[in-house]
Amino acid sequence: MSDRHIVITGASAICAAGNSFEELSGNLPAFSRIDSKKTFEFHSFDVDIPCYAVAGLDPAAVLGKAGLRTKDWATKLLLCCVESGFGPMLTAIPEPQRPGLCVGTAFGSVQSIGDFLSDSIVNGVNNVNPQAFANTVINAPTSNANIRYVLRDLSATISTGFNASLDALLYACDHLRCGYLNAVIAGGLEEISYYGLLGLQRSGALSRSGTMMPMGIDADGTCAGEGCALFLLETGNAAKERGATVLAEIAGIASAFDPGPVKQNGNLSRDVVRFVIDDACKQAGIRPSQIGFVAASADGNPKIDEAEASVLAEICPGLPVTAYKRKIGECYGASTALSLACALADMQHNRISGIGADYRAMSGIALVRDTLESRTSTYALVNAFSCDGQCGALIIKKR
Amino acid sequence: MMRHAVITGIGLITPIGIGIKYFWQAAVKATNGVLPIESFDTADFKTKTGGEVKNFKASEYLAPEKISRMDRSSQFAVACTRMAIDDAGINCKAQNPWRMGVCMGTTMGEPQVLEHGIALKYASSDAAAIPRELPSQYPCNVIPENVAREVGAKGQVVMIPTACAAGNYAIGYAADLVRMGRLDVVFAGGSDPLSKIAFTGFNRLLATTRGVCRPFDKNRDGMAVGEGAAVLIVEELERARSRGAEIYCEILGCGLGCDAHKMTIPDPAGSGGILAFRRALAHAKVAPDKVDYISAHGTGTIENDRGETLIAKTVLGEHAYQTPISSIKSMIGHTMGAASAIEAAACALMIKNNMVLPTAHYQDRDPECDLDYVPNQARDRKVNIAVSNAYAFGGNASSLVLGRLQQ
Repeated sequence: MSDRHIVITGASAICAAGNSFEELSGNLPAFSRIDSKKTFEFHSFDVDIPCYAVAGLDPAAVLGKAGLRTKDWATKLLLCCVESGFGPMLTAIPEPQRPGLCVGTAFGSVQSIGDFLSDSIVNGVNNVNPQAFANTVINAPTSNANIRYVLRDLSATISTGFNASLDALLYACDHLRCGYLNAVIAGGLEEISYYGLLGLQRSGALSRSGTMMPMGIDADGTCAGEGCALFLLETGNAAKERGATVLAEIAGIASAFDPGPVKQNGNLSRDVVRFVIDDACKQAGIRPSQIGFVAASADGNPKIDEAEASVLAEICPGLPVTAYKRKIGECYGASTALSLACALADMQHNRISGIGADYRAMSGIALVRDTLESRTSTYALVNAFSCDGQCGALIIKKR
Repeated sequence: MMRHAVITGIGLITPIGIGIKYFWQAAVKATNGVLPIESFDTADFKTKTGGEVKNFKASEYLAPEKISRMDRSSQFAVACTRMAIDDAGINCKAQNPWRMGVCMGTTMGEPQVLEHGIALKYASSDAAAIPRELPSQYPCNVIPENVAREVGAKGQVVMIPTACAAGNYAIGYAADLVRMGRLDVVFAGGSDPLSKIAFTGFNRLLATTRGVCRPFDKNRDGMAVGEGAAVLIVEELERARSRGAEIYCEILGCGLGCDAHKMTIPDPAGSGGILAFRRALAHAKVAPDKVDYISAHGTGTIENDRGETLIAKTVLGEHAYQTPISSIKSMIGHTMGAASAIEAAACALMIKNNMVLPTAHYQDRDPECDLDYVPNQARDRKVNIAVSNAYAFGGNASSLVLGRLQQ
């Protein structure tokens, strides 16, 4: 029987909680570590900024030293993620048959962009390193990965802020559905950068207490994270033909926008939040009550979290809700992909990793605090909502 | 029933003209828009010229409170959207907002926000000097989001920052969204402002011309950094017909590829461009010998123009020698992520006006570039099928096929 569903046949992830999908999967239930950043090459903060940084990753050890000299941290994160999850597989495939790459990111190589500019101010426009210019385009990490692994089928970067990796997955799914591609590696990437942290700090989005409390009544902002998560997507038919193990099916994926007026850390329209969850459920052919658990988008931004919580409380009351960002930080454009990786890991282990904290949650939400073991879920809902109006929802089905 | 995606409205901002009328009049005359830069000091740069939009007044399109919340790239995009709406005669309030979307491309996004913020930081040594609202204007997704707010779109709103091929990516995806039935109306295009980062970078790569941009000419000496935007209204055919819209052309197909060669140098064999061009024709179900015109990426660099000529000859065979191929970058410079959106708009106008635009400043034939580049003068020609090529840093390659609507 023909299977045109989009399935996930490979996963890779790097974030504060682990430098591979397997490490993340093992560490996730008990993980709790937050670092801080203060000094960058051209600028520094007056105080330490709490954040969830990737730790212990040595790109040269993962990738070899060749070709890394001019690559920035964002690119190295992406290359390590490709290598860790798909490197041996890709090199075994003849070049013309290798899958394309589609990466969502909010800021791309913003550290390189800002440093290029800072360098030109400090040292003069005729003294900046011309090779560094190549890192200033937002698609630089994706393209560098295309070049390193000779991926000619597709090179796409999607940038829709905090929702970028959900929209990258949607873009990739659409290319598969349209029959343009047979397989594609898709996901999200974000680095912790001085410029990104400065922007969050100036706009008042960072937690004043340095503690992220997703869907917490006393939440006072978010904490930044970084990382990368990628998935090999293909049609069910293609996976079956090559005998691939299917990790999960993307049963529904929806994206919409709230065009309401811009407000600093502002509100989000409930009807758009509800629309994407309903749409994703409709595509999956399920009722919200059939969802096993929710990987919330919540990141400690009170108004956005409240919009998500109120809709979840309304359409699926009592459903277990977890917030992986409590463990890995708000990774902007990589967030949804990393939440998907965490959800996938939990489904595989028949568990729901808890937030590992005991703060007061918003009403009507069954926030998972301690990891629930022996919980088999057929469907998981991964949400993506952002203060700029982007709304997305993704449902995966265990196979 | 199969759905078709058509272009029913165009708004564009270029260094040689704002709006369809002024752009077309200037382009037909092969007007040079690559002039001395006025918006920042070029004293330290080897290159002094660029494709700058000198007479854009945001207040003609946007209310003061909106202007203060947007930087130049968003202002361009929203202004183009307003022009496209007027051109299409579409009433956005009468549309289902859930079935309206936005799909834009860019190379640099809103770089002037970052430039401004970092300049403030260095000037005062205090991050508090940076206005609180400034950071939220930087991420490039604000460009399509500002367009979406302008039109009230609640459907998918996407930014595809695939550098200088981004406009084609955005328009191609917009057409997909319409054909797939997810959306009925998509505002699609690209926008990029003149950026010191880009100007500095291309200068340091020694890729910029010291004079005018002369694509395909034997003595070409580089590209000209430019700025601009274009927004096209991509609409489902039957809906467009039912409201009596004037239809410029149909988006027949789009092909993407990547040469995976080097970040800043295209594959001399043109592998990415050939793949994208062939895919686009296959998607459009158009035979190579039916192509009437090619809008070249045509940056004016030695490598690009030589490679692009090879790509055209490889894909079209002998028919390449009978196919006019021109580059409007000879007039407006390289407008980065906006380039292929402006070029798609130009193709739609060429199909409508039965005329192909020229390559300006063309003087001496390069033996390696031996096709018909429509030198210096626009030419009467019925264009039924136009292909617009765009290439980018990292080897991104894209081709868009536009076709006269069959009655």
